[in-house]
Amino acid sequence: MFKYILKKELLLISRDIHALMVLFIMPAVFILIMSLALKNTYSDNFETKLKVAVISNENIDITNLISDLNKSAYFSAKLISKDSYKSLIYEKNYDFIVEIDKDFKNRINKNDKTFEINSFSSANISKEHFSILKNTIVEIISKTIMKDYFIKSKIDAKVLSVLNEKVTNTYIYKDDIQKAKPSSVQQSVPAWLVFSMFFILIPISNTFINEKNFGTIARIRSINVSLFPILLGKIIPYFIVNQIQVIIMILIGIYIVPLCGGDSLIINGNYLLIFLMSSAISMAAICFALFIANISKTTEEATSIGGVTNIILAALGGIMVPKFVMPQFMQDITLYSPMSWGLEGLLEIFVRGGNFTDIKFYLLYLLLFATISLLLAFILLKKGKN
Amino acid sequence: MSIIIKDLSKFYNKTPVLDNLSLKIKTGSVFGLLGPNGAGKTTLVSILNHLISKDSGSIEIYGYDFENQKNEIKKISSYIPQTYAFYPNLTSYENLEFFGALYGLKGKNLEKQISYCIQSTALEKFMNKRAFTYSGGVKRRLNIAIGLLNSPKIIYFDEPTVGIDPQSRKYILDVIKNINKTHDTTIIYTSHYMEEVEFLCDEIAVLDKGKILLQDKKDILMKKKSIIEIELQNETLEVDISNSYDIFINIISDLKVKNQTINSIKFPDKSLENIFLSLTKEGLRD
Repeated sequence: MFKYILKKELLLISRDIHALMVLFIMPAVFILIMSLALKNTYSDNFETKLKVAVISNENIDITNLISDLNKSAYFSAKLISKDSYKSLIYEKNYDFIVEIDKDFKNRINKNDKTFEINSFSSANISKEHFSILKNTIVEIISKTIMKDYFIKSKIDAKVLSVLNEKVTNTYIYKDDIQKAKPSSVQQSVPAWLVFSMFFILIPISNTFINEKNFGTIARIRSINVSLFPILLGKIIPYFIVNQIQVIIMILIGIYIVPLCGGDSLIINGNYLLIFLMSSAISMAAICFALFIANISKTTEEATSIGGVTNIILAALGGIMVPKFVMPQFMQDITLYSPMSWGLEGLLEIFVRGGNFTDIKFYLLYLLLFATISLLLAFILLKKGKN
Repeated sequence: MSIIIKDLSKFYNKTPVLDNLSLKIKTGSVFGLLGPNGAGKTTLVSILNHLISKDSGSIEIYGYDFENQKNEIKKISSYIPQTYAFYPNLTSYENLEFFGALYGLKGKNLEKQISYCIQSTALEKFMNKRAFTYSGGVKRRLNIAIGLLNSPKIIYFDEPTVGIDPQSRKYILDVIKNINKTHDTTIIYTSHYMEEVEFLCDEIAVLDKGKILLQDKKDILMKKKSIIEIELQNETLEVDISNSYDIFINIISDLKVKNQTINSIKFPDKSLENIFLSLTKEGLRD
C-alpha cells in the first residue's frame, strides 16, 4: 500500500509545475543573483572600484596622494577641476568627491589645526565605504609625513612601506584543516537552500487542502486505513524533493555560479553532516507545512499564511541579509527562527568546518520544531472528524 | 437487515441535527433518503461512514456493532461523496490504483478489480487521461468506480448525479441499479431528484429536521398515489385505481343509482414530489 501512496504523491508533485518552479527555479535564481551581488562583501578587493574625484590644484603632494589612492584595492581616483558637486556625482557618476587644499602637507607639518579634508557623496554610499576612504587617506598622508621625517632623521624605515602587507588575517577552522577563503556563494547557497526548502509548503498545502475540500480525505477516512501511513506518505516524497533541492543547489553553487562570474562553492565540511542538517531542515519544513495546511481552509489562505510566515522567518533568520551585518538585537532575534537554525547549522559545515558537536543543537531545535508541528497537524486532522 | 439504527441523535451547538432517529434498511435494497437542505441526510451518511461521531443511539451494520467493529464495517462499506473525491491531476487508472491499494488490494487482485471498475463505469477511453480534463459526467463515473473497488456490501451514494447531463445521469442510475441487481449490494441513495428515487429505490424515507417523517416501500407509496377519495355525507370511500379507472366509474354510477350525495372527490397527487412537499412543507430552506 505504502508504495502506491508514495507513487501518488510523487506523481502529484511532478505534475505541479508552479510548485516545481518555486522549489527549484526560485532558489537557483536567488543563489546566482545573491552570490554575485554580495561578492564584494566577502572579497579582499572591489571588482568595481569606487570612483573618487579629487578637487585641488596640481602639485607633487596631490599627484602622490592620487597615485597612492589608485594603488589601493578599493579606489580609482582622478584630479578634477572644480565643478558642480551634483554634476560630478549624478552625471559623471563619481562615488566620492574629496576636496583638499593643495598645501595640505605643509599645513600639517606646521601643526595647523584648521586644516580640513572634505568628502562628498550621494546618500546611498555606505558608512563602511566612507570609512575605508577616510582610513586610506589618513594612512597615505601619515605615511608620507613619516617618510619625510625618517629621511630627514636618516632613519632606515623601509619596512614602513610594506607595513600594510604585514598586517594579515588567517581564518581558523574548527577542524584545524586550512581551507579555501569564505565567499558570497558559501553564504547564499545554504541561505537560499533553507528558504526554498521551507517553500515545500506550497505543494503540500495545495495537495492537502484539495484533498480536504474535494472530500478525498473524507473518502480516505471512510476506508479502513490508519492516518499514520497517509501522513508518512506525505512526508517521504517531500523529503525526497527537499534532498533533490539540496543536491541541485549545491551543484549550482559549484558549477553554475562560477560560469556567471562568481566564486565556486567550496564545501569545507563533511557531506554526511550536510545530509543530517538537510534532513532536519526538511522535517521541520514539511511538518510546518502540514500544520499550515491543516489550519487553512483554502489553498489561497495556505499560500498567503505560509508565504508570509516563510518570508518573515527568512528575514529574521539571516536568509535575506547575512546575520553578521545585523545589529546585535536583530542577531538575538534570529535565534527564534527555524530558518536561522537551519542556516547556522549549514554554515557551520559549509564555512567553518564544524563537526557533529557544532550542529547538534541546531538539529535538536529543528527536530523539536518538526515534532511540535506534526503533533499539532495530527491533532487538527483528528479533530476535523468532529 | 443491513442497517438498524435506534434513537440516533447528533447535536451541533446544542441544536439537534438528528433527533432520536430510528431506521431499518433491508439487505440488498435500494434505499432512498429524501429530504430538503439541512434535513440531516449528509450528517446521517457521515455518521454511518464513521466520518463524524454520534452523540447517542445505537447502530448495527450487517450485524456488526458500530462502535466496536468499526474496521469490519469499513471493509464492507463504500462512501461515494457528492464532491469529486479523487485526484484531478492523476488519471483514472492512477486514482483507482491508489484507492485500491488503500483498500488493501495488491498485485493481480488490484489490476483485476481496477479493470472491473473501469468496465462497470465505462471509463476505458479515459483510463490514461488526467481526471481534470473530464466532463462532469465522466468525473461522476470515476467517483463511483472508486467506490466499487472493495466490492462493498453496502454503498452510500450522496447525491451522485448533481450537475450532470441527462444521458450521464441515466447511465449512472443504470450502473447503480446493475450493481444492486448483480451483487445484491445494499444502496443508500440520497438525492433531491424525486424521479431518480422513484426510478431507483425499493424503499424511501423522507427526512426533515433530523426526523424520519415517512418510511415505506416504494410500491406502497405509489399505491397511495393511486387512491381516489370520494367524500359522502357520512363516510369517505377510498378507490384504488392502480389497475384501471373502471372500478371508480362503476362506484360513481352506483352512487348515482342509490341517489347518494357526493360532497367531494379527491384525486391523488401525481408525483412523489407532492408527497415530499406536503410532508416537509413548501417553505424555502437555507
